[in-house]
Amino acid sequence: MSILSSIMKKKKKQRKNDNYRQKQDPLKPEDLPILREYKENIRRIKEEFGDSADIVCRDFKVSIHKGALVYVDGLADNKVVSDFLLEPFMEKEIIPERIDIFQYVLDQAVALGSVESIADWNKVYDSLLSGNTIIFLDGCTKAISGETKGWEKRSISEPTTQLSIRGPKDSFTETLRTNTALIRRRIKSPNLWLESFKIGRVSQTDVGIMYIKGIANEKIVKEIKERLGRIDMDSIIGSGYIEQLIEDQTWTTFPTTYHTERPDVVTSQLLEGRVAIIVDGTPFVVTAPAIFIQFFQAPDDYYSRFDISTGIRILRILAFLIALMGPATYIAATTFHQEMIPTSMAIAIAAQRENVPFPAFVEALIMEVTFEILREAGLRLPRAVGQAVSIVGALVIGQAAVQAGFVSPIMVIVVSITAIANFSTPIFAMAIAARLLRFALMGLATILGFYGMMLGLIFITIHLCSLRSFGVPYMMPLAPFNINNQQDVFVRFPIWAFKKRPPFMSKGNIVRTGENQKPDPPKPNDIQETKGDK
Amino acid sequence: MEKAKINASQLFVLVVMFEMGSAILVGLGASAKQDAWIAILVGLAGGLVLFLVYYRLYMYYQDIPLTSYAQRITGKWVGRFIGLLYIIYFLYCAARVLRDFGELLTTTIYTGTPLIVINCLMIFTIIYGIHKGFEVIARVGQLFLMIIYFLAIVGFGLVIFSGLINLEHLRPILENGWKPVMSTVLGETLTFPFGEMVVFTMILPYINNPKKVKVVCLSAMVLSGINIALTAAINVSALGTDLFVRANFPLLSTISKIKLANFIERLDVLFMLYLMVGGFFKISLFFYAAVAGAADIFKFTNQAQLSFPLGTLVLFASVTIASNYAEHIKEGLSIVPIYLHYPFQVVIPVFLLIIAFFRNRKKNAEATSNPS
Repeated sequence: MSILSSIMKKKKKQRKNDNYRQKQDPLKPEDLPILREYKENIRRIKEEFGDSADIVCRDFKVSIHKGALVYVDGLADNKVVSDFLLEPFMEKEIIPERIDIFQYVLDQAVALGSVESIADWNKVYDSLLSGNTIIFLDGCTKAISGETKGWEKRSISEPTTQLSIRGPKDSFTETLRTNTALIRRRIKSPNLWLESFKIGRVSQTDVGIMYIKGIANEKIVKEIKERLGRIDMDSIIGSGYIEQLIEDQTWTTFPTTYHTERPDVVTSQLLEGRVAIIVDGTPFVVTAPAIFIQFFQAPDDYYSRFDISTGIRILRILAFLIALMGPATYIAATTFHQEMIPTSMAIAIAAQRENVPFPAFVEALIMEVTFEILREAGLRLPRAVGQAVSIVGALVIGQAAVQAGFVSPIMVIVVSITAIANFSTPIFAMAIAARLLRFALMGLATILGFYGMMLGLIFITIHLCSLRSFGVPYMMPLAPFNINNQQDVFVRFPIWAFKKRPPFMSKGNIVRTGENQKPDPPKPNDIQETKGDK
Repeated sequence: MEKAKINASQLFVLVVMFEMGSAILVGLGASAKQDAWIAILVGLAGGLVLFLVYYRLYMYYQDIPLTSYAQRITGKWVGRFIGLLYIIYFLYCAARVLRDFGELLTTTIYTGTPLIVINCLMIFTIIYGIHKGFEVIARVGQLFLMIIYFLAIVGFGLVIFSGLINLEHLRPILENGWKPVMSTVLGETLTFPFGEMVVFTMILPYINNPKKVKVVCLSAMVLSGINIALTAAINVSALGTDLFVRANFPLLSTISKIKLANFIERLDVLFMLYLMVGGFFKISLFFYAAVAGAADIFKFTNQAQLSFPLGTLVLFASVTIASNYAEHIKEGLSIVPIYLHYPFQVVIPVFLLIIAFFRNRKKNAEATSNPS
């Protein structure tokens, strides 16, 4: 432990030195004033961008005043530029001579929604690279930036990883603005706040955090902002980067932040007091704080009736346990605790295993590793080849291995049940934790049977109880146990019983459902006056 | 002291887990034969009185553990010596329970595995838990209590539906009068498990709501006492007096008799699950008390540092305190209660309480006389 911490300390020191060096970042252009001569400005832009082909500069004249506009082809919408910038400029026939041309253009000539005057050079780059068009006018030390964003974006489509039966079919896209709009459309309240950051020294990625003022816990919001502000990296390519940089503990297999591509899920989480972190370029929105049981709640739980969703949720937790312990139980039972298997079944297993040359652990390991390879290959392969792989896999795993006497048929059953159970966890990040820990439990079961397995489970439980997500205990509301907050754990209560928000996330504004929401229809006789059955 | 706070319900869970931990597994009160359950309930009553002694001491010094207030009561050096003795006592108890636990596994299921391997893995898990802090132990307790209770109810139902219960075995009640029962109470059930509540003198300062301590602890003790007595009664009625007295682990024998629908049988794994969880908490709490006490006396700011060396100590002590199981049991039944449990659970606390009473009375008298 102490060796590790001393290494960490050394690294910290090194990081400080790095920070010092980073202050003179060679990639960041010097902050210069904008020149009077517009041609000089254009020349400088071209120089800075190394004459890149997608930088479009066009000179124009507004009556007698000369100027030029610059935009990045592909980021700005060509049609908007020509219709709302160039056209109005060129149509202005005569304008009074003694007039502040800059103010005139800003006020009357640019027909765009969002226009801004910029005085410093860094902002010119920022604005240009986010798809805006910059207008330089001759003799002015300021520039105008008009919003002409309009790049090609993927349209909103159905979610690909988190499907639901009754829920809405839209999902997030790679564009930050589209994503915030999807959320805002669902919560029409001015209390839904969006704060934006630019993270990534080179990439300057747009990151937005959304929360509902008055519901979200101020301290958690502040903490998230602080952790985001601390990030100092060259680029943020996906929300996974952010997730790993702000989570509470790195040394864990369990996810301590939640991610989803469904706007309805984000909406419900915002209403519980969580904070959403939206990263430009990723269709997955990260929400925090996350608790363990949340990873077993699927959107369909809330769209279907409570008894059905309760049953399905318990099934899901059971499946998680099977995915975690399936092969380990098999190994422990066959190597250490044969007496626990009913006699007829024990004989059947022994007969099947007679020709298998390996001990149960090696047998299980071979099958599990084969399956993991198949799954990984299936993910990466082009779709056209994918089918071939699944056929080969089914044959190899299912039949050939058994016929060759490599593994016993019951092992195939165990592995396939485990694999299928693993897919039933709604969130991939949690499923993959079970996948990894399964191997550790298999090892423990090989060494000491059920005793080893249970020690492993106690170990995992201690670990889970020690985790926190932004200060919220991970096993909330089970440990620490909170009797008032059990409506959404193992049993999904009827929706009218969701009276309060989880108190550990939202402070103050806690009541979410009014009194007497339980359906209380009048007696049938009052509606329909029947005179007995006919 | 560690900066931890636990709430009343967590304290309740810890007391229940601690009391039931190993008491349910071993044939508690077996020397009272079919009246074991009476001996347990009488022991419970005595244990409640003992707890009130610890509670009084806690009321005098709410923010500090036993090892600190022993110094306040008897002076710096005598107090430190008493504290040191308590640390050794707690470590010894932890080692004893660990030995019990290891012996159980090596004699029943893992006959070929060395004791030290079994104990080593267990103590490693416990060290990890202590390392994570006391709050984490309390949370783990909450999670496991649910599982344990669920299993207990399932097991209870299975025992009944397998038709094992024969209430005739419980009769005649008080066959030889109160004498054997009382000697069992004094020799066994009073000190183990109820007198072991002395561990909580090290833990009570963590409670965030001191007003609830009394009710919570007493009710948890009563609940666990009733559970233990019930288990003893079930064991007697399922096995018969003779087998109950002779079995090393009566509950294991009862559970292995379960047979239902030709499929549900040999549920030893249920027993083992209970054993692991109960043993874990019992050892953890003793061990935690020792770690906290050592950190308190030797002024360690980071007490997690102590968990590893002391854990190693417990591990080796557990293997070396007795050369075989018979010796271990003999020590546990005839030596430990008289020479260890009575002094540490009864004599020293009562003695501390008497001095504390007079000291505080003097202080109170001064406090009331001064203003006037």
